[in-house]
Amino acid sequence: MICGYCSKEIPDKVGLNSCGGCGSRCRKIHCPYCGYANPAPGKFLERLLNPKTKKEDV
Amino acid sequence: MHDEVTTPKIVLVGNPNVGKSVLFNVLTGSYTTVSNYPGTSVEVSSGRCRIDGRNFEVLDTPGMYSLMPITEEERVARKILLDDRPSLLLHVVDARNIERMLPMTLQLIEARQPVILVVNILDEAERLGMKFDLPRLQQNLGIPVVGTVMKRRQGLDELQRVIASYQGPTPPAEPYAADLEADIAQLSGFLTGDYPLGARATAILLMQRDHEVEELVQLEEGEGFPLIAPVLHSIKFNRRADLNLQISLELKRITRKMLSGALQQEVADHPPFSERLSRVAMNPITGVPLLLLVLYFGLYQFVGNFGAGTLVDFLEGTLFEKYINPAVINFLHGLTDIYWLRELLAGEYGLWTLGVRYAIALVLPIVGTFFLVFSILEDTGYFPRLAMLVDRMFKQIGLSGRAVIPMVLGFGCGTMATMVTRTLETRRERVIATMLLALAIPCSAQLGVILGLLSVVPGALMVWVVVMLGIFLLIGFLSARVMPGENPVFYMEIPPMRMPQLRNVMVKTLTRMQSYFLEILPLFLVASVILWAGKMSGILEHVVSSMTPVVTTLGLPVQASAAFIFGFFRRDFGAAGLYDLQTKGLLSPVQLTVAAVTLTLFVPCIASFLMMKKERGLKVSLAIFVFVSLLAFATGWSLNKFLLMTGLLS
Repeated sequence: MICGYCSKEIPDKVGLNSCGGCGSRCRKIHCPYCGYANPAPGKFLERLLNPKTKKEDV
Repeated sequence: MHDEVTTPKIVLVGNPNVGKSVLFNVLTGSYTTVSNYPGTSVEVSSGRCRIDGRNFEVLDTPGMYSLMPITEEERVARKILLDDRPSLLLHVVDARNIERMLPMTLQLIEARQPVILVVNILDEAERLGMKFDLPRLQQNLGIPVVGTVMKRRQGLDELQRVIASYQGPTPPAEPYAADLEADIAQLSGFLTGDYPLGARATAILLMQRDHEVEELVQLEEGEGFPLIAPVLHSIKFNRRADLNLQISLELKRITRKMLSGALQQEVADHPPFSERLSRVAMNPITGVPLLLLVLYFGLYQFVGNFGAGTLVDFLEGTLFEKYINPAVINFLHGLTDIYWLRELLAGEYGLWTLGVRYAIALVLPIVGTFFLVFSILEDTGYFPRLAMLVDRMFKQIGLSGRAVIPMVLGFGCGTMATMVTRTLETRRERVIATMLLALAIPCSAQLGVILGLLSVVPGALMVWVVVMLGIFLLIGFLSARVMPGENPVFYMEIPPMRMPQLRNVMVKTLTRMQSYFLEILPLFLVASVILWAGKMSGILEHVVSSMTPVVTTLGLPVQASAAFIFGFFRRDFGAAGLYDLQTKGLLSPVQLTVAAVTLTLFVPCIASFLMMKKERGLKVSLAIFVFVSLLAFATGWSLNKFLLMTGLLS
């Protein structure tokens, strides 16, 4: 995932880190570089986002 | 296997997505293994290759942005440099972004690593009008430089030739500014051990508070470390405000020097639109009007008028009021004759009539439109530019441009934004940001409802904006004077501005809406049950009557007490309550404006308060809670008097 604020790549292993303030799972991934809270799509939206989950060769 | 000990090791390093893995596959073919780096869950690929008759072991490291690690992946990549002591490092960079990636090459040179620079994706860079003189870059840097298009194996032969003939040595690093060099020299003079990154780079990382390197130095220097500690402490203290900024600026300066004569960018008659827009967004003269345009069209017109007006009118006024509510209420009433159960399901504070209706018909369309605007702005890369734009103003209120992240996120949800204040550098900045979030940053649903409500009364929205902005700046300014501490230094690398991608925007918007809805629906239902229980037991009546003197002092009708009680559960719940009052015609323009201002400034919701307590401690959060509540009512009272006296909105 690319951070929506600093555009750096967030490693896959960073994972969900909801703040726990309201007791719900708000599905946010906090960028380790800038702290920005990026929305993490659920399974359905994830499939929509990456239909084949293939990385493009550069 | 007999040559395992002596096989020279080639390590590939570089930012993510620059083509390291493609190069790794091209070099090693199919003879590769992927395993977790010991003690971590980070995968590292290793393989073998044969170049010019010699065997090499090749390691593909996780992406890293600098020698100072932040993520576990970067830590592993650096650990490989520290522990494995490679024979050769291939630093792979994306030619299109060479100016942003070359600082790491400079760091590797500084660390005396045997480095070859691989400038990959040359074809696309050339398509963008970039012309490289790689021999000149090689001369400037003093290390071998190879241009490649690895996906077409272009440049592979030359790279293999350079690897085979590499003899080193790595040249000395370009000096930084004299004062910085003096500190580096002083500190590195104490380092007598054998450091894989060399004394200079080790000293710089020590100054930058790299704990792993500090542990390494303690181990290496042993009894000599107490001599280093006071010097290190003194340098860190003297440079506590701007060391990282200064090093970053020095690396940028040297990068420009290295690229001078080695890179020519075709200057078009007009720079690309994205570049011009980026400059416009960051320049105070043009950036502020642009920000006002974004606020006007994005928030006022789209969220306020369209979301809170048109969409809510349709959902609440037509769909729910005319079709869904009568059918559902009839159905629920048909289920039972028991009064309290009927009330619980579809009464004044019923689960359906209050909880579900508020969540779906009032709040969701507003946050949906807000999140759409938010995601578009986010996807363009506007927010980092906004941070640069407001940095100077934020400094006056004890914050820096870095605080734009929690402030912007606060318009989505104050609870999560309060948590993000932990990324701010100083305690003073964190406390001020937490207080301003609790006080003057309305969440998206509250903002949408208020924009929708106030836009129907001429002048009311302007009064609300002026009061909120005034309170934000005044309280921030006073806090910065009252609270001791230094002004934080803010710098960040500005990513390129880009066209928002429809799929990105939709996925981000829908994800945010889904999370938000799943978060608020249970809370709204619980709040409905509590209010219903309060009504049934008569407690609510007492609470409302205890609020009555306060509410009437503000010049508001008694019924407004309920909206304030709702607001304590969640700000958006309170704003929706206000919406109900307005649609019932219970509020005059002055009352509406006073209620909107007071409710916006009013104490944050329960979740937000709990987060404040978690992040700032009980004492600070209670102080903020009391201060914010008093200020909200004092401002509401003063505004009511002022508006009545001047007849401004009458």
